[in-house]
Amino acid sequence: MVHWFAEHEMRPISLLADREERVPDDWLAKVNRMGISLSMSNFGGDGGKKKEGEARKEPRERQTNRLGVIAAEELAWGDPAIALSLPGPGLGGPPVMSTGTPEQKERFLGIFTKDEPRWGAYALTEPGAGSDVSGIRTSAKKVDGGYVLNGHKVYITNGGRASWVVAFATVDPSLGRAGHRAFVVEKGTPGFTCTRVAHKMGLRASETAELVFEDCFVPIDNLLGGEAHYENRAGSSGFRVAMSTFDSTRPIVAAMAVGIARAAYEYTLDFVKKEYPRGQRVRSDVLAKLGEMDAKIHAARLLTWEAAWKADLGQPNAKEAAMCKAHAGRISLEVCSDCLEIMGPIGLDGHLVEKLYRDVKVFDIFEGTNQIQHLIVARRLYEPHGLRL
Amino acid sequence: MISFLPSEEEQAFVEVASEFARTQLREAAREAEKSRMPSDGIVAKAHELGLISLELPESLAGSELPLVSQVQILEALSYGDLGIVQGLPGLCDSSSLIRVLPDPGRLELADGAAQRVPWLKLEAGEIAVVEEKGGFRLQGVTHPRRSVLGADQLLVSFFAPGGEAVLAWLNRTETEWRDEAGDVRLGLLAAHVGRAIFDATLVRQEDILARGAEAEALVREAETRVAVLEAAKCVGVMRASLEYTIEYTSQRKAFGQEIPKFQGVSFTVADMAIETEAARNLVWQAAHAVDARGAESVREAARALAYALRSARFVTNQGVQMLGGAGYLQEYPVEKWMRDAQAQCVLYGRETAWFERAGGRALGVAEKEGVLV
Repeated sequence: MVHWFAEHEMRPISLLADREERVPDDWLAKVNRMGISLSMSNFGGDGGKKKEGEARKEPRERQTNRLGVIAAEELAWGDPAIALSLPGPGLGGPPVMSTGTPEQKERFLGIFTKDEPRWGAYALTEPGAGSDVSGIRTSAKKVDGGYVLNGHKVYITNGGRASWVVAFATVDPSLGRAGHRAFVVEKGTPGFTCTRVAHKMGLRASETAELVFEDCFVPIDNLLGGEAHYENRAGSSGFRVAMSTFDSTRPIVAAMAVGIARAAYEYTLDFVKKEYPRGQRVRSDVLAKLGEMDAKIHAARLLTWEAAWKADLGQPNAKEAAMCKAHAGRISLEVCSDCLEIMGPIGLDGHLVEKLYRDVKVFDIFEGTNQIQHLIVARRLYEPHGLRL
Repeated sequence: MISFLPSEEEQAFVEVASEFARTQLREAAREAEKSRMPSDGIVAKAHELGLISLELPESLAGSELPLVSQVQILEALSYGDLGIVQGLPGLCDSSSLIRVLPDPGRLELADGAAQRVPWLKLEAGEIAVVEEKGGFRLQGVTHPRRSVLGADQLLVSFFAPGGEAVLAWLNRTETEWRDEAGDVRLGLLAAHVGRAIFDATLVRQEDILARGAEAEALVREAETRVAVLEAAKCVGVMRASLEYTIEYTSQRKAFGQEIPKFQGVSFTVADMAIETEAARNLVWQAAHAVDARGAESVREAARALAYALRSARFVTNQGVQMLGGAGYLQEYPVEKWMRDAQAQCVLYGRETAWFERAGGRALGVAEKEGVLV
């Protein structure tokens, strides 16, 4: 079903959306009525639309994570920028699901209905704090009835149109990670503005916003998990919210990278079948490149499934999540590059592969750069040997 | 649904293999390399544990395990020492051909599973074939192949002058050939690597097991199985190198701190881990596919072996690199694993050729000619 949607609804508008740097509003409204959302592939499976009581009905071995990565691959195969633009809570969903109080889940996730497209967003990165999340400087000053936020967030997917944003801030930079808090800031809150939508190398149809908080009052009810969540835990609970989100979202991002690579690879296979002369030998280097791409894509997919499988079992998966993200981010760019090489100059003009090449580069950067993934893997490898990196 | 869990039975078998690998194979590795064969004690123990007849059919007293079980056991054994594993009897490539024969019971194995029977795929450039009295005469010297030295029986496959595929079983009691050790020094030195010399060797009509389309189908199916099994062995040697490297570097200090605190080291080790895990997953997937669909899964098998060969070279090379000068010394095992992995790559085909094969399958080109039809 997801593949059908990707092939018949997303792919036909892919190049148009890239050229116009936006997904048509009527298309988004139609898709929203259909109930299609990238959130259906979020960890948690249903994007948070599940009612509280339903959790008890889940089978003993959950499959939502594995189904999630399979769906994410298919949607990205259709078009990654459009997939990221699909209505739903997006990357803001997992922290609300994992940390929000029952009231917050109902309040913030309950708005995603079929009557009107709505988005959620996740705001962590700042101009001075990218990979080093612990260095965020957006401040949260406690005042009567809530907090006042001041700061600047960048690279926020769907940040401009989101109904709410999960924003991370610090109550005291000197506390480091222990000072982090996660807030749900709603659109229209005084002092909260979207100052710019960035123009990018790829993923052009996906909105990437910069957000500013200027003396922005956020009521206490919007502190994710409530005060008790931070008081009852040792130190770095807000930071953990941010990090555990990554353990959930990295396999999804890796699966999307696999979907892009597969799209480029399959497009190139078709190109070779159609454009290369019948009855003549296909150059051995082309065959070998195709075989190598096939292996890389499958290897990345299996690493992604493994991370999702561990999550379904309820096992820690930080290492596997980082492994799949590191591998998929790297090989997907290599695959797209090799596809362009096989297609030659023809590939530059109106073909999907050059767009996929531009789109895929960021999958080696966002949700933690390739270097950060390596650091996480290395930490997990050396931990049993008493070495902290 | 997708799962990466071994069954309880597989787990039990793997634990036996792991224990044997850790306590005996690893210890015996250098000695086996020096004497160019596994010791009688190691062979006897492997036999006793049922580890050398995994692929052989039950009709020949083998275990006839599915590939998905075998790859886990072979990874565990190769973690101990790939060189010894490749030198053990019963784990030869011919086991896979025997496994897919319609009537394996007709073969007279000299000593059951304890026999080393190499499978020689004779290439046109190395051996000349002429027809004679319903059979064939072979002339020439093969390239170095595993398990050749001292073998009393051979499985040979070749193309007859008219292009017909032939599969034959040669027994030293009936057929003459010689073998030659040559000057092999790279790796897998306990694997009986040598050349077979055919001097007008007669392949009699009664030696022929299959010919034509039947022979081609058998060879293709056996090759598919061999690819998966050999890929699993690559994963074992990768894991050995990875774990040793982590252990060593976690203790090693330079410039006042443990060297993994330099990202040049820790990132490389992370890459070694990622490649090892990626190769293992591909091997498992290929094993499942071949168990389910046989030779139809040649694409999965080719993909797994090509990837594993490349990763084995990368991981074992980086193992030596991370140990620095120590890695180059024979006091440490990583240099041997690097040599063994490289020799494995040489013996089991250029990875590019395997990638070509997988690519050809994906594209749907005719296998032999590489032509779009």
